[in-house]
Amino acid sequence: MLRTIKTSCILLLGWFIFSCKVEHATPPNEPMKNIAGSWGIIHATRNGTDMTSGFDFSKFRIVFTDSTYAIDSLVPFMVSTGGKWVFDDPQYPFNLIFTPADSSKSILAPFLFPVTGGVRNIIVTFSPGCPSNSYQYTLQKVN
Amino acid sequence: MKKIKLPINKKSWSWIWKITGTVIIIVIISCNLTISSVNQPAAAAGGSVVPITLNCSIFSNNPQTSALVVGILVPKIWNAASNTTVSFTSDQTTGPQPMSVIPPGTPSPFGGGLSWQDDMMATIGHANNLIPEYEWIAFQSNTTYNYPGTTTETVTVTIQIKVSDNNVLFNMAYVIAESTDGLHSTNYYPPNPPTSYYGTFFPASPIRINGTGTLLDFVNPQLSTVVPGSSLDNDIITIPFDATASNNSLSSANQVYLCATGFANGDSIKVCEQTDRTRLTSTGQGQWQTNIWPRGFFNLSPAQKLDSIEYYFTDATGATRVGYGGGASPFTFNFSCQ
Repeated sequence: MLRTIKTSCILLLGWFIFSCKVEHATPPNEPMKNIAGSWGIIHATRNGTDMTSGFDFSKFRIVFTDSTYAIDSLVPFMVSTGGKWVFDDPQYPFNLIFTPADSSKSILAPFLFPVTGGVRNIIVTFSPGCPSNSYQYTLQKVN
Repeated sequence: MKKIKLPINKKSWSWIWKITGTVIIIVIISCNLTISSVNQPAAAAGGSVVPITLNCSIFSNNPQTSALVVGILVPKIWNAASNTTVSFTSDQTTGPQPMSVIPPGTPSPFGGGLSWQDDMMATIGHANNLIPEYEWIAFQSNTTYNYPGTTTETVTVTIQIKVSDNNVLFNMAYVIAESTDGLHSTNYYPPNPPTSYYGTFFPASPIRINGTGTLLDFVNPQLSTVVPGSSLDNDIITIPFDATASNNSLSSANQVYLCATGFANGDSIKVCEQTDRTRLTSTGQGQWQTNIWPRGFFNLSPAQKLDSIEYYFTDATGATRVGYGGGASPFTFNFSCQ
């Protein structure tokens, strides 16, 4: 009887040990950021002062495809003509890099990509004129 | 119960109260930073180094170890943070003590998260300078000093500002403080209010820099001064019109329009019409303004770059014109960066 119990315990112990599977946890894959579409300016500041209602930003559009961008109804911006664009890092981007078609020089634009009220915004900060003047545009997709 | 009679007569009591009262007063007054006087020239040449001296005194009942902080209100166009040296001498130190610019964004103690510069602006103000193109620059001594307390320390601050070439008329303002208490300390309150920990001085006369270009007059109400003063044709510039600044033929106009000429690479481009594009917006009480993007407003080609603009204001008919000083000559603005 005791021998049966001993054997059963050993078998059970063996079963417990070998039934544990090592869990291979795969880190979730950070999705690539997708900004394809047509974006307009919903908010603009100059040196911290709200300029949104003091200047007509309403017609401005920047249209992104996978690799190109085009600008319509230009307002002060970090680029004035269309061309190619890339992120500095596709999964964790901190900068948009624009290369206008008429120039070999690339322009780095720091940007934020927050979701506000359930809607994705792009916030860019740049100096189109004097370096001492800082502008911030909040862009939202328009249809 | 036996009445205890103290061996002090009425006269002695009177003296005791007087002495105690005096001692209490000494205990109450325990902290004071003061700028007693300022030596500041009435005028200086554009591009020169302007010497300024602050004669200060510091008194505290309590010993303390702190760094000295000095703030100066300046026009932004001077780019003063990069063009100023500040040092001080005092009773307890030997030789000029160096001070360095406090990096922008450095929080001021008890300042609720504000930087020294923003805290000075919010607490001390802008000395009645009318064009909103001023800033506080702040300097802190490179080391801390042990202030022993109970003596009045005389401190002389020497400031040298290399001003820009521009013609300027500006109300300067100064503050001394220390790095422990900032501008709002409640360390010894009551009875010492936060204002005990800093001293300000507003000179009675503005400083005049005799330089080049249109006078940037911060002191007298101006009909129109473009903001930001440092702008290029790709910036958005705000062109204001203060119809109340001085007598002019548009003082009581209910519609004001902009008439402007841009000068680019030797060409002149005129935009003078009375339409939506040139109409100023009223912000109330005779104040008007318009924001324009010069590259778009003058429809420039990529190769064209504006050096300057000339402008004046008109009524709805275009017949009545107000230029510089209320006269017929236009206002001018040069595109440049500081």
